[in-house]
Amino acid sequence: MIDAMDKAAGLSPHDALFAARRFRPEFVRGAEECRLSVLQPANDQGLAPNLRVALARRMAALNADPVLMAEYDVQLAQLGPTEQLLALAQGETDLNEPLATIVRHVDLITLTPKKAEASHIALLAKAGLNNPQIVALSELIAFVNFQTRVAAGLRLMRST
Amino acid sequence: MISSVRLKPLNWHPYIAPVELSEATPEQLDAMKVTPSAKKVSEYVRTLAHDPESYLARTILFNAIMYVEGGLARPDRELGALGASIVNGCKFCAVVHARRHAELTKSDEVVTALYLDKPEALGPRDAAIYSFARRLSAAPSEATADDIAALRSVGMDDREIIDLIHAISIFGWANRLMHVLGHAESG
Repeated sequence: MIDAMDKAAGLSPHDALFAARRFRPEFVRGAEECRLSVLQPANDQGLAPNLRVALARRMAALNADPVLMAEYDVQLAQLGPTEQLLALAQGETDLNEPLATIVRHVDLITLTPKKAEASHIALLAKAGLNNPQIVALSELIAFVNFQTRVAAGLRLMRST
Repeated sequence: MISSVRLKPLNWHPYIAPVELSEATPEQLDAMKVTPSAKKVSEYVRTLAHDPESYLARTILFNAIMYVEGGLARPDRELGALGASIVNGCKFCAVVHARRHAELTKSDEVVTALYLDKPEALGPRDAAIYSFARRLSAAPSEATADDIAALRSVGMDDREIIDLIHAISIFGWANRLMHVLGHAESG
């Protein structure tokens, strides 16, 4: 069965790389479980699934990943996005709070994690995010940055 | 000959209040694998336990990527983790995985070369792994087909390269937790 990572990397069941990926069933299963835990969690901590997918779309663009951008666009369209969420997904920075603060953080941590400081977490708290939301947002950011790298690496392997 | 670098373990402290065991929900306790008699759970684990679902899923995947049997040699996974941690600026993760690399290889030559920013001192295999780790960790990724060709030219097969991609990428994740949610201090 094709999963989200195969789709992102452009793998189909007759590719040798599709089979090579299955040498590590724990990675295949684990990455999918992680995806669900940050994009469709049982308890979303008050960060709705459509906000999560819109942020994922934004981070796919920051990582210059057109395949994942298209995939998250499709998912977002199915989740009844507001105008604000559609703008957020497209990279807009002029947004209502707390979205404006959230996207500043998401952009910073995606592109330049090295620059992260205590003050950035304080800004999230000031915008009204509680501790579970700060952690859930951090895991979502981190996951998409994991996903885009695995997909990028697998695509390079497929092309060589 | 370069003199070797001594790396002491760092302590990590969160910017937000971690979950107190006395106030944790059954789901949080389960995610932290805490038994009623357990007293010490690290601040890092208790911080991430604020969102137990993602913590549990990521821990299972992380352990598989770094410790599963066979495939890519453990020191090579540690080198991938170290390259990512240096690019992403997670000092805590870099020290942990530099020390683990030195323990596993019983040598601190590689770690010393990297901490002194002398990657040209690495052998061909380590150089190919480290260079790929750095380039895949850039945002967006700067890795190219030449990086994969370099890994193949030092004898790595597809399974090993897939393991390496995962080791590097899971630190694109871990670094964005550890360096973002807290800071490292020396002992």
